[in-house]
Amino acid sequence: MNSSLYRILTLTKRNLKETIRDRLSLVFTILMPLLMEILFYLLFHGLTSQFEMKYLAPGIVVFSQSFVALFVGILIAVDRGTSFLKRLYVSKAKPYEFIFGYALSILPIILVQSILFFLIGVIFDGSIFGASMFLAILLSLFTSLFFIAMGLLIGSLCTEKSIGGASTVVIVGQSVLSGMWFPIEGLNGVIISIMNVLPFRNATLLLENVLNGINDSYKDFLLPFLIVLCYTVVSFVFAILAFRKKMNAD
Amino acid sequence: MQAIAINNLRKEYKDTVAVKGLDLEIEEGELFSLLGVNGAGKTTTIKMLATLTKPTSGNAFISGYSILKDKEKIKEIVDISMQETAVARNLTVDENVEFYGALSGQTKEEIEKTKQYLYNAFGLSAVRNKQAAKLSGGWQRKLSIALALVSKPKILFLDEPTLGLDVIARRELWKTIKELKKDMTIILTTHYMEEAEALSDRIGIMKDGKLLFIGKKEELFEKTGKNDVENAFIEIVGGGEQDE
Repeated sequence: MNSSLYRILTLTKRNLKETIRDRLSLVFTILMPLLMEILFYLLFHGLTSQFEMKYLAPGIVVFSQSFVALFVGILIAVDRGTSFLKRLYVSKAKPYEFIFGYALSILPIILVQSILFFLIGVIFDGSIFGASMFLAILLSLFTSLFFIAMGLLIGSLCTEKSIGGASTVVIVGQSVLSGMWFPIEGLNGVIISIMNVLPFRNATLLLENVLNGINDSYKDFLLPFLIVLCYTVVSFVFAILAFRKKMNAD
Repeated sequence: MQAIAINNLRKEYKDTVAVKGLDLEIEEGELFSLLGVNGAGKTTTIKMLATLTKPTSGNAFISGYSILKDKEKIKEIVDISMQETAVARNLTVDENVEFYGALSGQTKEEIEKTKQYLYNAFGLSAVRNKQAAKLSGGWQRKLSIALALVSKPKILFLDEPTLGLDVIARRELWKTIKELKKDMTIILTTHYMEEAEALSDRIGIMKDGKLLFIGKKEELFEKTGKNDVENAFIEIVGGGEQDE
């Protein structure tokens, strides 16, 4: 195996173990969203369309990804704070290998989240089961990259103490600006325009549309896909730059 | 043969000069202790030598490789144990060693041999299946230092290795360091004078980024007229004002 790939996989394995052995991260990334999905469906599913499972399940999947940003960030900030990363800089690993190691370690968690939340959705509404659901699960790996990049960026810039506040911006952003918890039709046009150009609503729409059927391939798929892709690429570039800068400065 | 040759090494930060034109040579197999009060520039010096911090000017050669131009080569022959305990907290002792071994490119068989060597040297067998976070401070410190040996470095930097350890754990670690000395060059920073006295072949005393003394402890005693490192250190750093 290529030595760089071997180092990336070694870092990935370590980061995955660190994350899944932290019970708090499992509570926030799996248990809490799961309970929210079940409770919100049972309490509100007849009231507004947001809480029908075909919208709630993809919404919860993306919402739970925003917590992933927090835990990626915490892992990096703790590694920096304890000098763990600093000593690893003496190894042969390159900055991009560290970044990939952090990013890849989160994807198995994302996959588990998506499969679990969609399957729970199927229990309450069997109509969402089908090829489109599996496509939505695959696509959730793509939407997660934006949140992972945000986690990398925040973790590179913040300390262990300040990371909670910074990550809240992403979590609140996903909650408020995705339109998953309330109907957006009554909102001010400017707010809707802002929501439409930010990644939060587009990531949610992407999964919703793929799950429920695409009528207009540009409007329903390509446009939200490209918007999320742009934010992801930009976030990754800034994350790598911030990580490299901190690598030399810590 | 020289393990380290430092030429006019200098490190400036925004408001301060941490290291002011350091010149030093360290021989292969030597254990060299850098002493100094807080802020003397000890840690900055070893960070520059381990290629973790770029010097503002000057250069240093590690086994002939420049810290400015040959970082990758140097990374193959040095390792560092930081002042802070730096281990993967949710991994077991075994997993920590496996992680560092894999990262330094060792095969599974090589990692097993590394484990045997480290567990014998540091007595880690008893806790090999425990998560690092659940170990006592002393065990975590031992693990942290042991991990710096996984890559089998020719030159090892130990930044205050016994900081925060109780007297028994400190003495045990001294024994281990004395054993390690047979296989590698060690550069150690410490605040504990008796540690430097017990372990070092030579001692360097730093103050405000400058080396005020380099030599064997006997030379230090002769120069200061004292008969222990602590009083000799005070004589050099305090200019004799704080004597006993």
